[in-house]
Amino acid sequence: MDLALTEEQEMLKTAVRGFIQVEYPKETLLEMAAEEQPVTAEPWQRLVATGWLGIAIPQEYGGEGGSFTDAGVLFEELGRGPVPGPHLSSCVLAASAILEGGTEEQKQEWLPALARGERILVPAMTEANYSWAEEDVRLTARQNGGGLRLDGTKVYVFDAVSATHLLCTARSEETNEVGLVIVPVTANGVEIRSLPGFAWNLAEVKLNDVSVDQNSLAGSSFAGGWGALQRAIARTIPVMCAYQVGACQSVYEMSVGYSRTRIQFGRPIGRFQRVEDHIINLVNQLDAARWTTYETLWKLDSGKPAADSIHLAKAVGSAAYYQACNFAHEVHAGVGSVTEYGLTLHTTASRTLYHYLGDPQFHRRRLADALSL
Amino acid sequence: MDFEPTYTPEQEEFRQEVRGWLAENVSPDIAHPPDSINITEEQYQLRRGLGRKLGEKGWLWATAPEEYGGGGLSLDHAVVIEEEVDSYGLTVPPYYDSGGRLGGASIMVWGTEEQKQTFLPPIFRGEVRTWQLLTEPEAGSDLANAKMSAERDGDDYVINGQKIYVGSSLGCDYMWTITCTDNEAPRHQNLGWFMIPATLPGITIQPMELLISGGESGAGSGVKNTVFFDNVRVPAFNLIGGENEGWKVATTHLELEHGTGGRIARNWLVDHLFEYCRENQRNGQPLTKDPDVRDKLIDIYVEAEIARLFNLRNYWMRHSKAEITYEGPQASYWRKMSGLRMSQSILDILGPSALTYDPQWGAADGHMEAHQRSAIVAIHPGGTADIQKLIMARRIGIGREVREQAGALA
Repeated sequence: MDLALTEEQEMLKTAVRGFIQVEYPKETLLEMAAEEQPVTAEPWQRLVATGWLGIAIPQEYGGEGGSFTDAGVLFEELGRGPVPGPHLSSCVLAASAILEGGTEEQKQEWLPALARGERILVPAMTEANYSWAEEDVRLTARQNGGGLRLDGTKVYVFDAVSATHLLCTARSEETNEVGLVIVPVTANGVEIRSLPGFAWNLAEVKLNDVSVDQNSLAGSSFAGGWGALQRAIARTIPVMCAYQVGACQSVYEMSVGYSRTRIQFGRPIGRFQRVEDHIINLVNQLDAARWTTYETLWKLDSGKPAADSIHLAKAVGSAAYYQACNFAHEVHAGVGSVTEYGLTLHTTASRTLYHYLGDPQFHRRRLADALSL
Repeated sequence: MDFEPTYTPEQEEFRQEVRGWLAENVSPDIAHPPDSINITEEQYQLRRGLGRKLGEKGWLWATAPEEYGGGGLSLDHAVVIEEEVDSYGLTVPPYYDSGGRLGGASIMVWGTEEQKQTFLPPIFRGEVRTWQLLTEPEAGSDLANAKMSAERDGDDYVINGQKIYVGSSLGCDYMWTITCTDNEAPRHQNLGWFMIPATLPGITIQPMELLISGGESGAGSGVKNTVFFDNVRVPAFNLIGGENEGWKVATTHLELEHGTGGRIARNWLVDHLFEYCRENQRNGQPLTKDPDVRDKLIDIYVEAEIARLFNLRNYWMRHSKAEITYEGPQASYWRKMSGLRMSQSILDILGPSALTYDPQWGAADGHMEAHQRSAIVAIHPGGTADIQKLIMARRIGIGREVREQAGALA
């Protein structure tokens, strides 16, 4: 038993933390949030250049071939920012989907490009009838000469504004199976519109009778596409959970710091037990997220059955990030809602990640299934 | 990271050895009443007998040093032993021995060499059962307000006063207790700890009637008691850590009592409940197929998993000597509060069958009824839930530039 990181992982952690402090200071993150174009920013190019984003991609396909825990270490540090995507959506989820469901040729073509950030492939999964279930995929794909024609609308697509390509779940008109189709955002009939408000990098994606060639179908078959996506999601969730852990840690440190420096009634507010309670609730959420996540990463790395742990980590981790932000707002009161202060970067991220790849209730129910209840 | 102990072939052999030994030495007559108040003298002696045999093997306190009667074994060996004993629904030691666990660890840090040689071997070999006696009527959450007095008189101290909510059914051999060694001295500079033979004249034990004995330690204690000390003469040799030095000893004791020791045992409550809900029907289907019940069962499972991971983390931190701050009281706080939340979910699922141990109408052989009571009582032992939060706040440094340090552990 050893719950410590390896020396190499500690080094990675230190390196990433230093990089983010330099490249993604709060001011940069605030600017990026205002512009909603994270990928065009210079820090992203430098992040790509480190090679770290290929951590979940095998070396034979141009990635770093890291373990799940390695990926967790990287994303935990990214979460502290919170550094916006499309690292998770493109370099982990879409890459895993290609790895799980692509042909050898597609793997050779896509994975090195994703690892190097040359292409950004963003999964477009959910639709008007918001759901993570196969039966709710309505976007249609029909054979058209040597290619496919896609028609339908995807909504709440995370990171779509940064994409060069979309990885769409689509239902074959011929076989009724759900497969994964790669669509360049520049194709005729693709419209991407960022959703306004409290959503964090969510967009509507319209595919109006879009034509793509037959090579765009992952695995060159609709059959197996949905299964490949599910396996990719299972690989991605623990990494996303690590991101949420880093985010909670950042929110926690912000709150402890503020509890020491903010003076009211002649003393630091943290000396009031009502305020202490918020931070204790916060750290309990943080550690619940941390250890459910770490155990899941370890199970995956050691080849143990992890289905139950994956659902547990997502259910706990997404609720934890949401709650951690709420507790932090109770500690910070007025200043917490000032955009410039930076807490709302997390609060905004926490709401979108709450739902991304399934909300806590969804995963709690899947957990019951995984436990054979 | 590795969440499991790593077993070398030699350790796997050790597991086989432990398993084989337990198969021969755990009496099939050991019963597991949901409420430990129903552990009889005969049952207690079966457990003590097992404890003594474990002690002879060095398996009772496996990681304690051999020179003091412990096993001198590695953490991984200790984990093997705990896992194997746990498979019998028992703990190590297999009976309530709070003073052995916490007093032993405190003496390891603060005792003189002679005191270690005298007091530790009987504990580590399982020859004695020791109670911890901390709480007094006016010293609950405020332990430093302990008023039971110990006055020096020649080679002895004379002890007078009262402890409450302490001990167990069926007596003990030693009492590990905190006293006031100087009525005039300032707070925290007026305390002293003693290891007191329970047979000394002047000690009166009076059982209390409580909702249940509670306790989070797994080995239920049965009753709790009021213990009166009336001019009890204790040799000065039995004072651990020195006169008026009791608070520093308390930091070690409390560090462990507040959950820093961690644990790796499984949560039998969840097992019992899942099994019950799989095997019992409502409206023609197993309870587990009812969507509302499933949601509640998952609420309980998630609470228990977080508690398990906090305990596991602490176990590893303690044994790997990682720097520990707020994690002990955090685990304790989570156990206490999640226990209460779980008890409401259980009541939701089972209705009034969770409120009786009636053989016909009570759920899960009375285990659920006992939990409804013990979840409430568990709020206070080893420091209330609020006290755990208070310690966490100091250790985190909420509102403070200087963080409080954890107590010293051997």
